[in-house]
Amino acid sequence: MRALDRLRLRLRSLLRREAVEAEMHAELRFHLEMQAEELIAAGMGPVEARHAAMRALGPLSRIEEECRDMRRTRWIETFLQDVRYALRALRLSPAFTIVATLSLALGIGANTAIFSLMDALLLRSLPVQTPGRLVALGDPSRVGGKSEGSIRTDLFSLPLYRELREKNQVLSGLYASGRTGRLEVGTDRSSAQPERARGRLVSGNYFAVLGVPAFLGRTFNGEEDRSAGSAPYVVISHDYWQRRFASDPGVLGRAITLNNYPFTIIGVTPPEFFGDIVGTATDVWIPMMMQRQVNPGRDFLERWDVHWLLLMGRLKPGVSVEQARGSIGSLFKQIIASQVIPEDMLGDRPGDLHIDVSPGGAGFSYLRRQFSRPLATLMAIVALVLLIACANVANLLLERATGRQKEISVRLALGAGRGRLVRQLLTESLVLSLLGGSLGVFFAFWADAGLLKLMIGSTRSPALDLRPNLTVLAFTAAVSLLTGLLFGLAPALRSTRVELAPALKESSRNLAGAGAGRRWPLGKILVVSQFAISLLLLIGAGLFVRTLVNLQRLDLGYPREGLLMLQLDPVAAGVPRERLGTFVEQLLERLRAVPGVDAVTLSENGLFSGTESSTSIAISGRPPIPDPDDDVAYDRVAPDYFEVVGIPILQGRGFGTEDRIGTLPVAVINETMARFYFPKQNPIGQRFAGTDEPERVYEVVGVSKDARDHELRGAVPRRYYLPLLQRSDDLSAFNAEIRTRDPKVLIEPIRKAVQDFNPRLAVLDLVPLGTNINESIDDDRLVAKLSAVFGLLALILASIGLYGVISFTVARRTNEIGIRMALGAGHNRVLWMVLRETLLLALAGIILGLLAVLASGRVMASRLYGLSAYDPPTLVAATLVLVLVAVLAGGIPGSRATRVDPTEALRYE
Amino acid sequence: MGKPSDLVQGTLDLLILKTISLEPKHGWAIAKRIQQISQEVLQVQQGSLYPALHRLEQQGWIHAVWGETETGRQAKLYSLTEAGRVQLEKELAQWERLSTAINLVAKMA
Repeated sequence: MRALDRLRLRLRSLLRREAVEAEMHAELRFHLEMQAEELIAAGMGPVEARHAAMRALGPLSRIEEECRDMRRTRWIETFLQDVRYALRALRLSPAFTIVATLSLALGIGANTAIFSLMDALLLRSLPVQTPGRLVALGDPSRVGGKSEGSIRTDLFSLPLYRELREKNQVLSGLYASGRTGRLEVGTDRSSAQPERARGRLVSGNYFAVLGVPAFLGRTFNGEEDRSAGSAPYVVISHDYWQRRFASDPGVLGRAITLNNYPFTIIGVTPPEFFGDIVGTATDVWIPMMMQRQVNPGRDFLERWDVHWLLLMGRLKPGVSVEQARGSIGSLFKQIIASQVIPEDMLGDRPGDLHIDVSPGGAGFSYLRRQFSRPLATLMAIVALVLLIACANVANLLLERATGRQKEISVRLALGAGRGRLVRQLLTESLVLSLLGGSLGVFFAFWADAGLLKLMIGSTRSPALDLRPNLTVLAFTAAVSLLTGLLFGLAPALRSTRVELAPALKESSRNLAGAGAGRRWPLGKILVVSQFAISLLLLIGAGLFVRTLVNLQRLDLGYPREGLLMLQLDPVAAGVPRERLGTFVEQLLERLRAVPGVDAVTLSENGLFSGTESSTSIAISGRPPIPDPDDDVAYDRVAPDYFEVVGIPILQGRGFGTEDRIGTLPVAVINETMARFYFPKQNPIGQRFAGTDEPERVYEVVGVSKDARDHELRGAVPRRYYLPLLQRSDDLSAFNAEIRTRDPKVLIEPIRKAVQDFNPRLAVLDLVPLGTNINESIDDDRLVAKLSAVFGLLALILASIGLYGVISFTVARRTNEIGIRMALGAGHNRVLWMVLRETLLLALAGIILGLLAVLASGRVMASRLYGLSAYDPPTLVAATLVLVLVAVLAGGIPGSRATRVDPTEALRYE
Repeated sequence: MGKPSDLVQGTLDLLILKTISLEPKHGWAIAKRIQQISQEVLQVQQGSLYPALHRLEQQGWIHAVWGETETGRQAKLYSLTEAGRVQLEKELAQWERLSTAINLVAKMA
């Protein structure tokens, strides 16, 4: 109650200030009148009495001030007064305000933009119940992955999931979710064009473990896991409900088809829930046991060798992530020991496998792994840019304070406390930084859409929620305040430290000279550090751009131009497995007939498609070679693959139409594999087998030149190729490589040809190879482009800073320059005088910057490709650019100095 | 009798609270009352009375309303709140202890 009363009083003092003041005056007046009356009654004259009363009370204005102090709202009032004062001061110098606000807005905006990406991708928790108690099992980045072969622990098979779910002691619930592959939704029998949706196959406890309630209808209740095919119903997202069903409340019970199988909608999730995958919004959740119906022709439900599930569990109360990791680790060992897993699924060294258990509250994401390091790099870059902006504004403030020196001296002389003045100047900085911050927020949200496109490329469809939120706004506010303090404090302290007597006596122009001895070092330090940071950023940008160029120019081992990649899935289109061989041959025929196509071939995994196969192998008649990383990549390819793609066969032969079902299994191996397994031997005629299928032995018939199929970075992996036509019945999706002069032109004709060939055959992907390659280095492209942009920004800010400082020196030395010229100094001499000062500053900055580059070399090196962190051309070029900028920034005011008219300058005194 | 003693530091609050504990009073009356009761020994510095009143009001110990005086004039009348009454008890007890102690020292020494 008392607290409330007090709050009421404070608010009244603040908001109804005039009434409170009037009351105070009235109260004191009343006192004076009473006193005067008493004195009159005692016989004093009225005028005399009034004077006596006032003497008794004391100085009115002081009493009033003391009363105001008692209101405890003084600091707010003072602050508001300072803010008003600051706004007025800023309005009076619009040029300064605009330059300072824009510098800060760019700096703060860049920080906000990168931070909101980090927040959305790395920091934010899923909108589910107590996300801090969720743990992810396996590799959270392998969203949408699927792999076949012996047991693994980054993705899980459904039988292994069941074991882990039933036997673990540390989780109150463990759900599984997996990809659906392409999902075509039909909502209406009459509509001919089915449309695509993003779906997840999930276990029946998915929503229960996450703690996500239904927004409409119900979610899954666990019954779904009972038996295969028993739960033909789905839950849809709020977004999909709005988008596809126009928020129709009657959507519950509606029938839809998923890949032509009928389902019923039973529920809608809350609006904020987009699924457990950050970066990809889920539209439809389908019970796991409906996998066969969603992927006709494929059955993963009982297979130990199909790994396609991500697992997320909720910790039991009191269990820590570490305990869960330990417990699940030993459970996994028990499962392996208990022999429930078929022996041939165990691979070579099942003992080496372990399940990673990590905090899962932020959800799964394939983007996170690719972008967490680039974003950290960019965050560091934008922080440096902001520092440069701060230095700029600090310099502007210093200059401004010099102009206001007289005003400040007068106020100090009149008795204003230094603390009070510092507070006022700081308020001005804070107002500036908040102005900059608010503008920066707009910059940031405008920039984020573009950034996202840069990050993810145009073909992938990202769903990162980048709307302004509290975390991001709090970050921006904190950065703005910190920035304000950073650039405001030193100038405020500096400019209020004045010796009054000389300052007041001298004219304001001389004052600048008098104060200069103290003022200059700070301004110079600021410019030098700006140059140092700019050089660091420029060199960084240069290194990143050159890394990108190196990656883009990298020799793949075949010509990268003129290849169009087409991805198809005949099994999903209902082609019977035994007919796949014929299908492939007919398809090749049809594609070759398209005008403009030079040649066509096929491979299972394609080039830079994101899908790759690997296995461990055993060489016939030899003990296994001990190798910590014994994986060998492989691909199955059509006849003419090497010719069409352009990979030279160095020894032996490639494949032909004679390598078909029933003939001796053959293989072509790449140079690296040949060197590794058959050093100083002839590889032709050697035999080997994959360890997961030891009875199928391949004979090496050729050696191909090393080629990059999926990765630009790193060494070319050991790889072998098998003829696709020798075994095609277990083929799933595959890729066609189409050689043509202009891939872009051919996209539509090819799409049409596929439609004509088989209307049920969906085109999963149809892009020039260059697009695939660029997507594989999206992170490098993002860092290169942005670091270049920010490097340029830093350069501009630093040159403005240098220009300002040099202009100021020149203005200050007008008089001196005039005297020198009067005494016969030539233009060049004057220009050199100014330039020398500029270059000295730049040189100091460059030396500092180079030291910083030296110190950060190790961190940089890991992010580069094909060049050292001390790449001489980059270092030299960046330094030259900086010197050039310094010459320009110093030259303009310098040449202005040479135009000083000596008589004019002297009279100025 | 010499000059009126300055108020002992910190006792102004006590005097104000005590003075208005019986009935609401305005500032002028409070000053007068303190003077009267102390038989003119304690002279309240008029200038320090009002800041003190405003402070006590902000602390929630006294409450102010505008009302009419006996002569029909508008004046700001202060009265004790519940919290003020508690505070008065506290200050009285403290004063009691302090003056006893000083008395003791004064007599013994």
